Amino acid sequence: MKNKYLCLLVIGLLVIGLLNIWAEEKKLNVVTTTTDLKSITESIGGDFVNVKSVCQGGQDPHFIQAKPVFMTWARDADLWIRIGRELEVGYEAPILEGSRNPKIKVGETGHLDASEHILLLEVPTKQVDRSMGDVHPLGNPHYWLDPYNGRIIAKSIAERLKKLLAENAEQCRGIDKNCNAFIKKIDEAMFGAELVKEISGDKPASSADRLWELELAGKLDEFITETNTERKKQDKPSVTLGGWAGKMRAYRGSKIITYHRSLSYFANRFGLVVAEELEPKPGIPPSPNHLVAVIKKVNEEKIKALIMENYYSCKAPDLIAEKTGIKIVVITNSVGGDESAKDYVSMIDNIITKFVKSMEK
Amino acid sequence: MRFIVLGLIIILLSGLPAMGEDNDKDLESEISRLLSDDEPAIQTTRQGGGYFQSLNPDISLIIDGFYHGDTSREGIAHIFEEVSGFGHECAEGHEHGPDKGFNISHMELYFSANADPYFKGWGIAAIEEEGAEMEEAVIQTTALPHGLQVKAGKFFSDIGRLNPQHAHSWDFSDQPLMYRLTLGQHGLNDKGVQVSWLAPTGFYLLAGAEAFQGNNETMFNYLGTNDGLPNKPGPRVFTGWLKFAPNIDNPNHAMQFGIFAGKGAHQEEHDGNTDGTMDHWLNGYSKFYGADFVYKYDDLRAYGKGDITFQGEYLQRQKDLTVKSHDLNAALIGKHKMEKQDGYYLQATYGLFERWRIGLRWEQIGLSNEINSPDGTSESPDASSRMSLMTDWSLTEFSRIRMQYNRGNYELSGADEWVNEFYIQLQISLGAHGAHKF
Repeated sequence: MKNKYLCLLVIGLLVIGLLNIWAEEKKLNVVTTTTDLKSITESIGGDFVNVKSVCQGGQDPHFIQAKPVFMTWARDADLWIRIGRELEVGYEAPILEGSRNPKIKVGETGHLDASEHILLLEVPTKQVDRSMGDVHPLGNPHYWLDPYNGRIIAKSIAERLKKLLAENAEQCRGIDKNCNAFIKKIDEAMFGAELVKEISGDKPASSADRLWELELAGKLDEFITETNTERKKQDKPSVTLGGWAGKMRAYRGSKIITYHRSLSYFANRFGLVVAEELEPKPGIPPSPNHLVAVIKKVNEEKIKALIMENYYSCKAPDLIAEKTGIKIVVITNSVGGDESAKDYVSMIDNIITKFVKSMEK
Repeated sequence: MRFIVLGLIIILLSGLPAMGEDNDKDLESEISRLLSDDEPAIQTTRQGGGYFQSLNPDISLIIDGFYHGDTSREGIAHIFEEVSGFGHECAEGHEHGPDKGFNISHMELYFSANADPYFKGWGIAAIEEEGAEMEEAVIQTTALPHGLQVKAGKFFSDIGRLNPQHAHSWDFSDQPLMYRLTLGQHGLNDKGVQVSWLAPTGFYLLAGAEAFQGNNETMFNYLGTNDGLPNKPGPRVFTGWLKFAPNIDNPNHAMQFGIFAGKGAHQEEHDGNTDGTMDHWLNGYSKFYGADFVYKYDDLRAYGKGDITFQGEYLQRQKDLTVKSHDLNAALIGKHKMEKQDGYYLQATYGLFERWRIGLRWEQIGLSNEINSPDGTSESPDASSRMSLMTDWSLTEFSRIRMQYNRGNYELSGADEWVNEFYIQLQISLGAHGAHKF
């Protein structure tokens, strides 16, 4: 009789032990539509996630096909993350439907639209129709190219991962830790490690929020001057604005040309002005008469740089460069689109380095 | 068979309410999270007044007009009626093909929306000059577990590659002969039920079974209790198919293979001495099987430049009929009529410039072409073939201009005839941005 209870106890413990192992080993399968979302999700999910991206680096996200392999990924997914704003309108529905996975339907916990909480640009304020080209009626979807939005995306992903891993408190703490580390990495890349340390000391990364608040309000330079006056009194060396913000300060107000309307958020963050696009209307390839107008504009307004994604043809840009001497900056707007764009932070870094380099030439 | 299918559907549908339980769990964890958590660190407002509501259905309209010219005397539709082994067998199955000159395909009006958490639905009205037809009216499950999906209503069968595609998404202006002359102009489109299953395999494997009422005019014709033909309640046509796609890590490549088969009741009536009255009636079944493949190369450049697709399908059909009544020759009653025909096409498209494609299609029908008549005679006519050249320019995703040239060699009762055809086609799509199926 005693043996029987002992036996039950042992079996019970074994089962609990196995369940524990299972709970700890549980990895979430995540499918993202772009490699940027993949990179951010990997940074935040760490060992708790397996991530696959539908769009490969360097692929134009507008022209993806709903390949069968994506349906098998989506079938096994616990979470589907999209850029949203209709960027995926050409292929998302057939993949989600083809996956027969009710967990990741739009509106479910397993479906995250990363544009939640993003302050969107270029949301049409008057009636639009397709005679204006392929305008995105829900706002410009290329918001991930602003590192501030990278932070917001990271927080949205962290929230959602925690919701899906709610049963495991340790994993949730891990997610928070990773998220803070990722945000700190962005902040240091944006403002320089020195300034981040000055403002947050040893506190968690989110306390560098103040730097962003100042930057968004246009008061960061003022703040640095004040800080340095204060430090001088205490005989401490002065701090300088480093990082991307530091590098890009000299080009504030500079006019640039882009190929597609895809750099609005990047330009907005770093104070560049997009004077013109090579596409006469979004999604319509450059036409000869539009190029003539662009060349005229570049000469008249002395525009220095043309930033374009590496999946577009260089033909039209080269022609403009030949006629005007404008610098062409070929970038990738996605992780993996270029050898040096290994993760989200290095992808942004890549754009800035290339831009600054060609402007210094 | 019918009852098995119906039973299966009832079992599957009864699984639906169980899906609600998962939602309860989500809700529970959400409430506990909301009670315990603080506000998110960064509050931002959304420009443009919040989410775009989409409780209304997606609505779109396809307009597809073309100019057609051909070198045949009576029009290409007439040629199709005469092709040996493939001629139409039933009075109402009248071929209406493109006229020489201006044509307009039916206008496709499409409505689609989720009905509730468990179903979605769509309807497609094919509006022609003379009136409207119901092209599709579908109720489809969206929440079944284990990779299952059930579709019911009127829809295109998922056999093959082109059958489920609507005319406006074809790469050429016209249907391959293989479809046109076996399943007819509208393909296999009928009232019925489909159950499909996405297997939990490492590669893509989709299996489906369908039951249709059986009203295809050319292959699964039903005349009912007409002149001694037996009454057969539906569903009278059953199909099955498998689609397979290997996992290819390289984003440049993708391919899919499919096999399919179907069988169903078929009845025919004929006017043997062409005096305008039907004089003999046949009853039996027809069956078909086939295979399809597609390979796509994505060059990853913008606007489709450098992209390649290869696609091909093969189909073989067989008819097995018995003469049920004969007004002219009663001796033939009870005798058999057997027919076997096949066909294939191979096509390729290439993105020559940004938004410009060129395409080439080669097709043959009647490679095996056997006709065993009830009077004991048999013949095996030669094959027909056709080659097509196409170029199209998609100005945007919503408009396309296409030109196509066909040169066909058709086997017409012992003699062959060369026919050249020419198309200039203009297509636009209005309304919701449709997603492209693979």
